[in-house]
Amino acid sequence: MTAHNQPVPIGSMVPLTGPSAADGAEFRKGMILAVEELNARGGLFGRPIQPIFADTCRQTAEEVVSAARWLIEKHNVHAIINGYNIGPQNSEYEPIADAGIIYVHSNTLLQHHDTVMSDPARYFGCFMADPADYWYGPGFIKFISWLRDSGQWTPHSNRIAIISGSKPYSIVIANSMAKAAADFGWEVAFGPRIVQTPTHHWRDVIEEVRSTNPAVIANTHFYAVDLAHFQRQFRANPMDCIVYLQYGAMHRTFNDIAQEASDGVIVSSVIGLLRDEMGKRFEARYNARFGEGSTATIGCQSYSNMHHYAVAAAMAGGSGPPGDFEQNRKVAFALKGMIYRSVHGTIRYHPDWQAVVPYPVVTHDPSLGMPHIFYQIQDFRKSLSMIAPEPYNTERFVYPPWMSSRVSAARPVASSNPRGLVGL
Amino acid sequence: MADVPGSAGSEQPGEIFAGLDVAPFGILVWSRERRLLYANERFRRSWDLPVSLGMDFEAFVATMAHASECVLPVEPDAWERQQIAAFATERSEDYLFATGSVLNLTQAPTASGGMTMSFSDVTAIKSNERALQLAKETAEATDEAKSRFLRAANHDLRQPLASLKILVYNCLREEDAEHRSDMLHAMGIATSIMEDLLGALLQIGQLDAGRVEPRITSFQLSQLFERLDVQFRHQAREKGLRLVFVPPRGTIATDRALLERILSNFVANAVRFTEVGGIVVGCRREANGLRIEVVDTGRGVREEDRERVFDEFFRAEDQRAQKSGLGLGLNIVKRLADLLELPIRLRSHVGRGSIFSVTVPLGNIWHSEANEIEISETVAGEFVGTPVILVEDDDILRHTMTQLLQRWGMEVHPAADEADAIRLIESGVSPRLIVADYNLKARMGVDVVERLRAAIGAKVPAMIVTADAEPRVIEIIRNAGLPVLVKPVSPPRLRVLMHNLLFEPSLVNVGEPAAVQPRRSLT
Repeated sequence: MTAHNQPVPIGSMVPLTGPSAADGAEFRKGMILAVEELNARGGLFGRPIQPIFADTCRQTAEEVVSAARWLIEKHNVHAIINGYNIGPQNSEYEPIADAGIIYVHSNTLLQHHDTVMSDPARYFGCFMADPADYWYGPGFIKFISWLRDSGQWTPHSNRIAIISGSKPYSIVIANSMAKAAADFGWEVAFGPRIVQTPTHHWRDVIEEVRSTNPAVIANTHFYAVDLAHFQRQFRANPMDCIVYLQYGAMHRTFNDIAQEASDGVIVSSVIGLLRDEMGKRFEARYNARFGEGSTATIGCQSYSNMHHYAVAAAMAGGSGPPGDFEQNRKVAFALKGMIYRSVHGTIRYHPDWQAVVPYPVVTHDPSLGMPHIFYQIQDFRKSLSMIAPEPYNTERFVYPPWMSSRVSAARPVASSNPRGLVGL
Repeated sequence: MADVPGSAGSEQPGEIFAGLDVAPFGILVWSRERRLLYANERFRRSWDLPVSLGMDFEAFVATMAHASECVLPVEPDAWERQQIAAFATERSEDYLFATGSVLNLTQAPTASGGMTMSFSDVTAIKSNERALQLAKETAEATDEAKSRFLRAANHDLRQPLASLKILVYNCLREEDAEHRSDMLHAMGIATSIMEDLLGALLQIGQLDAGRVEPRITSFQLSQLFERLDVQFRHQAREKGLRLVFVPPRGTIATDRALLERILSNFVANAVRFTEVGGIVVGCRREANGLRIEVVDTGRGVREEDRERVFDEFFRAEDQRAQKSGLGLGLNIVKRLADLLELPIRLRSHVGRGSIFSVTVPLGNIWHSEANEIEISETVAGEFVGTPVILVEDDDILRHTMTQLLQRWGMEVHPAADEADAIRLIESGVSPRLIVADYNLKARMGVDVVERLRAAIGAKVPAMIVTADAEPRVIEIIRNAGLPVLVKPVSPPRLRVLMHNLLFEPSLVNVGEPAAVQPRRSLT
């Protein structure tokens, strides 16, 4: 095989075993679908792209750093493209920066900003393809304020309770939520309380929350199983409040365990497959390739990251192996400068953060930011209802079954859906 | 001496006319009988008006009046009559033509009872005159704007300055550290308000010059109320007045800085003119927006003054004697409200109080501007506000480590040795984490941690950093039950360890972690 048609090795660090194996499997599928599509169109300047997967198991710092080293040293990967790994807290940036290759991930971590901005020249190749966890906080506060101000929901008070898991991601979200609350007329009556996670035992903290009689409970822990237990324990003796559960409640596992107790729960994601034409076509391709039981909304992360990288490498005139800082700087420049509309919204990197800008909390222009999507579980047997933000929403908020309806839930919302999208 | 043409009969009239033909302006000569005797070449070429020798003056004027070629000062028929009546009189007038040029028409009687008319293009001269006039007016407006600016600056800067003076005075005497810190915080805000004010006043200067362009954004009114509260609560307290801001809900869409100027003028007036009782700032939903009201229990405004209070330099009778204020505040309010197209309203009852209000349109909550767009870990990172004692004897390392931890939002208390650290604890520092160097000059880090924990009276989470990677040293630290990091400390490793110590102690691995090889699969 001559040099010009040798494969381009691209690494991918995915949890194929351990507690996040379900997500890991989807990240792997997303990479495979993207690479197949790219190779079918001639690869990168005629060179096929070869994905190499490294299992990050429990996603600890040691495991993820070893995975990065193995991909760089053993396989000379030109880039590492994946979904998220919770745990390494950017330790994997070190071997990647030493090798001068490109790294695109969806770790959703505020500390990415700090690391990149602390030494932009060193971390030139590290990109976070979704918004930082921080944005969940103000985004959520705006969401509940929007429900309140648009008359879709009448809270009995302005009190909110915030419970956090013990991972940095959960703590940062809880902190940013608490910080934004007062500006929008909310009072943090409980928390943020950090609970040791993983755990299935939430009764004590729920009882403590009850004494503050909040209008909103937000739990920023994100393990699907733990959250399902939380919701079941909440529903055993519910309060008259909105329940928001972080990311994990989007998973099938959550509904499987919580069953009917799921209905009414609000959940959100700063990265998720859209239900427009692009999103639907992608989901159809994904399911056709991997079977109906696949979860395109998770696989889309690595899928889009791979496509975006390939376009950037093509713009830069090719990819660069470890050590080829000059070529990889060109690729990084192209990634940074290119606004890319993926199947889950716009990837536009902030010039300093090298992280995606969220819509609508930072940019008010949906063509310039990745949507922070709010879902509600309205029937645990069906897909999540996408209730905000415009113009991507396909359904509207309904009163959770455990709440008293002070306002008729049938009141029409003054909102338009210019694309006329319908729920899947 | 040569003869001048026209002054001697020796020259041919033809030559005289030939000379007049090249004059730089048009000439028409009329006989006493009002017939055209002569039209020079310049006239024929420059102005497309139908003239022929022998034509009637009346016919010429009628053509001019109805040709729609130039702007006439009066109706065409009236102008026609005026011109005919003014035959053979001295006149000079300018006319603007449809082509944009300006023509000067000067007429004068001849000795024989006829008349000469000259037509000159004065477009360039007129344009220069206009430019000069404009420049003069702009200069005058700027001058006026400057004086207004100085008056307004004097007026508005006094409010935060007065707060600042009270705060400085109180702060000097305050013993309680927490109160002092609150006051310093308020002083910080007062100065930032002054800074904003100067900016806003500059804008008002520009407002007068018509150069302010409001920047309309959606934002939360609560943010504005908080700033106003800080700005005025000390002054209100000094006067023994209650100042209450009812927490508002809702997003509004207008220019944030300019609305703040409007409201701060309302509140400043309310504080100034209320002697007993208090002031409530709140808002009400209206069909077309949110009405923000400033309600006071002050002296009120007389019926006849209610329009005039918004005039520049207006002061009520009783105010003049007191020399309170320059009477600019409400005028600024009016000008700003006009610019922003916000209705303002005054309801008042003499002796009982006033309600000044401004109505603002509702905004889009999703577009509401957050306080910080430039986020960092100092805002909401996981370590925000966590107190840590850092014991490191190397000045440079202590400094860089302090900077790193501060960047992550921690409250760092650096100490060069054990004695320093003990002093910190004695002064009230209550750390949630101890980070100690292993090789301190007089003591070992492990012992320092033990002493500090004893002084605090709790087993505060702690870690050791060491430049000595000898297995024996690592062993000693491990045996003391403390996790260790080898210098140079990698920030991500430090972060992971600190997180585990603070939030997930079960994950703390005392000693060096074993390297784990990833399981892998290839496709």
